[in-house]
Amino acid sequence: MAADIAADFAIEMIGITKRFGPLTANRDVSFAVRKGEIHALVGENGAGKTTLMNVLFGMHLPDSGQIKVNGAQVEITSPQVAIGLGLGMVHQHFKLVPSLTVAENIFLGMEIVRGGLIDSASQVAAVRALSASSGLAVDPTRVVRDLSVGSEQRVEILKVLARGARIVILDEPTAVLTPQEGRDLFRTLRGFTDQGMTVILISHHLDEVLEVSDTVTVLRDGAVIGTEPAKGLTEARLAQMMVGRPVDFGRKRRDGTAGAPVLTLTRIHARDDRGLPALMDVSLTVHAGEIVAIAGVDGNGQTELAEVVAGLRGPSYGRMNLNGRDIAGAPADIVRGAGLAHVPADRLVRGVDVQASIMSNILMGRQDSSAFSKGGMIRWGRVRAEAAALIKRFDIRTQGPDASVKSLSGGNMQKVVLAREFSQGKQFLLIDQPTRGVDIGATEGIHDEIMRRRAEGVAILLISVQLDECMKLADRLLVMFQGCLVAELDPKTVTVNEIGLHMMGASHNRKASA
Amino acid sequence: MEILTQVFTISLIAAILRTTAPILLVALGGAFTTKAGIFNIGLEGQMLMGAFFGVLGSMWTGSALGGLVFGVTASVLMAVIFSVFVVTLRANEVVVGLALNIMAGGLTISLTKAIFGVRGSIVNPAIVGMPRIHVPLIHDIRPLGQILSGYTPLVYTAFALVFLVWVILFRTRLGLYIRVTGEKPEAAQSLGIRTARMQHIASLICGVLAGAAGVHLSLGYIVMFAENMSSGRGFMAVAVLIFSGGDPVKVLLGCLLFGFADAASLRLQTMGVSSYLVLMVPFVVSVSALFLLSWRQRPKIIRETLQHLTAPVVAKGQGS
Amino acid sequence: MTDIPLARPERHVPVWAQGLIGQMLALLIALAGGAVIIWLVGESPLHVYEVLLRGALGSAENVAGSLLQATPIIVCGVAACVALRGGLFNIGVEGQLYVGGFAAAWVGFTLNLPAGLHVVVGLGAGMLAGALWIILPAIMRARFNANEVVSTILMNYVAVLLTSYLTIAVFKRPGGWSETAPIAQTAYLPQLMDGSRVNLGLIIGLALALGLYLFLRYTGAGYAVSTMGSNPKFAAYGGVRVKRNIVAVLLTSGAIGGLAGGIETLGVHRRFMEGFAPGFGFDGVIAALLANGNPLGVVVAALFFGALRKGSLLMEVETGASREIITVIQALIILCVSAQILIRRRGGISGEKRWKF
Repeated sequence: MAADIAADFAIEMIGITKRFGPLTANRDVSFAVRKGEIHALVGENGAGKTTLMNVLFGMHLPDSGQIKVNGAQVEITSPQVAIGLGLGMVHQHFKLVPSLTVAENIFLGMEIVRGGLIDSASQVAAVRALSASSGLAVDPTRVVRDLSVGSEQRVEILKVLARGARIVILDEPTAVLTPQEGRDLFRTLRGFTDQGMTVILISHHLDEVLEVSDTVTVLRDGAVIGTEPAKGLTEARLAQMMVGRPVDFGRKRRDGTAGAPVLTLTRIHARDDRGLPALMDVSLTVHAGEIVAIAGVDGNGQTELAEVVAGLRGPSYGRMNLNGRDIAGAPADIVRGAGLAHVPADRLVRGVDVQASIMSNILMGRQDSSAFSKGGMIRWGRVRAEAAALIKRFDIRTQGPDASVKSLSGGNMQKVVLAREFSQGKQFLLIDQPTRGVDIGATEGIHDEIMRRRAEGVAILLISVQLDECMKLADRLLVMFQGCLVAELDPKTVTVNEIGLHMMGASHNRKASA
Repeated sequence: MEILTQVFTISLIAAILRTTAPILLVALGGAFTTKAGIFNIGLEGQMLMGAFFGVLGSMWTGSALGGLVFGVTASVLMAVIFSVFVVTLRANEVVVGLALNIMAGGLTISLTKAIFGVRGSIVNPAIVGMPRIHVPLIHDIRPLGQILSGYTPLVYTAFALVFLVWVILFRTRLGLYIRVTGEKPEAAQSLGIRTARMQHIASLICGVLAGAAGVHLSLGYIVMFAENMSSGRGFMAVAVLIFSGGDPVKVLLGCLLFGFADAASLRLQTMGVSSYLVLMVPFVVSVSALFLLSWRQRPKIIRETLQHLTAPVVAKGQGS
Repeated sequence: MTDIPLARPERHVPVWAQGLIGQMLALLIALAGGAVIIWLVGESPLHVYEVLLRGALGSAENVAGSLLQATPIIVCGVAACVALRGGLFNIGVEGQLYVGGFAAAWVGFTLNLPAGLHVVVGLGAGMLAGALWIILPAIMRARFNANEVVSTILMNYVAVLLTSYLTIAVFKRPGGWSETAPIAQTAYLPQLMDGSRVNLGLIIGLALALGLYLFLRYTGAGYAVSTMGSNPKFAAYGGVRVKRNIVAVLLTSGAIGGLAGGIETLGVHRRFMEGFAPGFGFDGVIAALLANGNPLGVVVAALFFGALRKGSLLMEVETGASREIITVIQALIILCVSAQILIRRRGGISGEKRWKF
């Protein structure tokens, strides 16, 4: 339907260049979005998608280039200017205030005030009306803290609509949703374009890009590779445009059979930081030479599961056994001693000490081991040699073992974590979101490294919100929903749709009502 | 005998309200910074400056109101320095607060010596104290008048402010923005709310109230200035703020506890207990309250683990 | 903005030199600010600074006096430094100093022990008292995350009042004035030279600072502690027992604070007096902050503060300024340092050390 008004653009970005110091994030990018279409912007991490959208939304000023909104040239100097022009952005990480109600969140920054006091009744009424007209169902009086991720996203979209947006930018909107919830979202977005609104979708999920969008623009290394109609594009073609070479999407070839059980969890229960039940009756076994993947929407207990297994959170009930040693409630040093290596989900929070040197980061967990210490004194010479060897082996781009971790890029920081954890010859590997924030090229390298550990007979528990990653690597696939393991699936035969149903708790609810 | 005990309790209540007022004032000020996400350890110094300049202003202008203006201005100045360092320069709030407290101590003593040529304290007939307000009608009704009438204006202000601060924080735009700034600054920023400005405003309001609290110390019931006369009340207020989370009603309850500790310990002193031990009471109470409430607020997981350890039922032994 | 590498062009000045230059600059600005304050109280800044300098370093006796003043600040500084490097604030050094001083004095005037042993037991009692004084804040911090800044500050007031009470109401020297009986000669901490009360405490302080430096740099336990201070979640992930370490670090810090008090009573006053060492604990905390947690830097900062204190005594005699003016200057120094370090580090990434400015 957009083809006949081809000249009628909602957004035109012409020759945008944006540099950060020595790095060029956007190089002469031209990008145009027709009114009433869903336009997907795809590219690897670091390709410049986010920067381009931040320029459009007034969070960065471009070094050169111009922007037109609805045909008129504009200067977008702040998000407020962008909002005034009818743009709205739904960020990947929601910016909601947990203690406020849905209505308060939606009206934050544009409250209805009467007599100096906030008129919450009017705000609630306005949100009800907006919710009805947009088809986004929410209860305006509920406190955001108690909402599901899907509802939070609806609140974020309503926030944008309440500000009169006609052009909606969504940054990786499906990253936190089940496939089914994702499809609901796309139906809503299609409803928007039917009303004449325009949608820009940032994504790296190629299948959904092809499914939902009218037009696709691919960015690579800060430059536009091409803009094409979604019809007629294939996943393989898109991937090649993104990476610049053909990419292997198939399951990893695997040989060898699983050995003896290495990690056994029996009826584990645990609570989260607020004291609420986070894990319920979780039992699983990981054998030597096997990759067991835990799939699920973020926030269904995966974090707590990883912490319990790693000795960072005591289970409230249940039994855990690693290499024949009872580790239930044991602290991290004991679990590590029993054979754990752990790649944590958030490397900046937990995986590294950014202030310290690479050398010092490599040492962590082994400061009392005989390899690196003698009589309580650290043998820094040995640590340096080990760090230098690992820098070489894992191809960490740095000046040397003394360089501080904060001088590294995100991918190289992750390599420091991997280097430390993969090189210790441990029998059990807990890997939480190994490729979060890592580009496709590096992702392949990390996957190969994981497969190599598997071939060496290491037992691997992989936790990932990326379904494709789970399916590509896993020997067995477990699905987690609301703190329970709800299904065990064979990644060779299962479909994405089936996994999605389990991720939404379909099987679980059936069981509960039966 | 019966009448005696009655008078005893009534005058104790009056004493509690009196001693609660300064710590309540400063804690309500701190409620703004707490809600704005600033850990304001500098309350003590702001109070001390308020007390000193309150005396100075009172002498120079010849009126208690002049003292109030002077005291509050000095305290606000401290608050500005605090928020410029902490918010604009992003310096560590504990370090800056500590430095300002130390500076307030040194500065007031130095100025006392420079202006009055004495060390220790300023006692001078030229200092005009706060007037007592006799509430009409109620004042002459025997028990009620003793409890509700005859305080300085700042006492009434302090208790009225509990409600006012609650309205500001929870029913106005300014309060909403301050709370959002403390709870989720990135959300506020993404909607164009200037979080830095909110923190500056919160710090300024805090400075005003801390200054008033200081003036109450030096011009309220005792009309003099003594070195370090805030004597830890600012820190007690910080303790109250930690376990109240800056919620005005909980702040009031916490402050009443200290008011009670203060008033009761003064009574102990008249009964012959050493003044050193008596002075310790409010500090012991506040540190105990801090510990008790953080113990109560501990994550349930710990409570459950404790129960688990004491319970005979252990998961181990159940095979799979 | 995960897209952008975090690398920044390295400057050619080494990091430690940058720090030193910044610290010196902050010092100069603070002294200028101090000059304004001095001028405000009606004195000539140049004259006051000249008298301060003369009072601190003008003669051999004055230098010795400065060292005497610096001794407790060094020890208290090391105490604060231990906590700081573990990511904790022990603002209660002052209180630990008081209870430690009293406990040591009590051993000194109550027990009968041979020389040497008496000193050791006295200092040990001081350390024990200091550690006991922080044990509740330490446990509550480790187990329930109770804010240690406020709890240790409040404990200061209790410590000062309690020791005053014990001195005046229980152990007052007959005919004396708010002081206990003198300690036995066997409990005297040896003095280093004739004609000055500079004592073994100075050597103890220097040794502690050096020991802490080596501990943090070369031992596994030191690595665990400083990593915990830098990023506690990373340390926990790597197998460091954070809760246990928090208690250990704070108890050590408290013990050293108590030791400082013991050194003062056994080495200088030879009795416990009400208000025997006002502000040394806070000076130590400030010295540790000024040195940014570097134990060797603490020594330098403490020597400087000791000189200021000694100089201020002469200043009060020769000028009209009150000696508390030096605490104003100290506060200004901390403010300038806290600002300049941040200016240098602005735009840095998350994971900033809690104890850094």
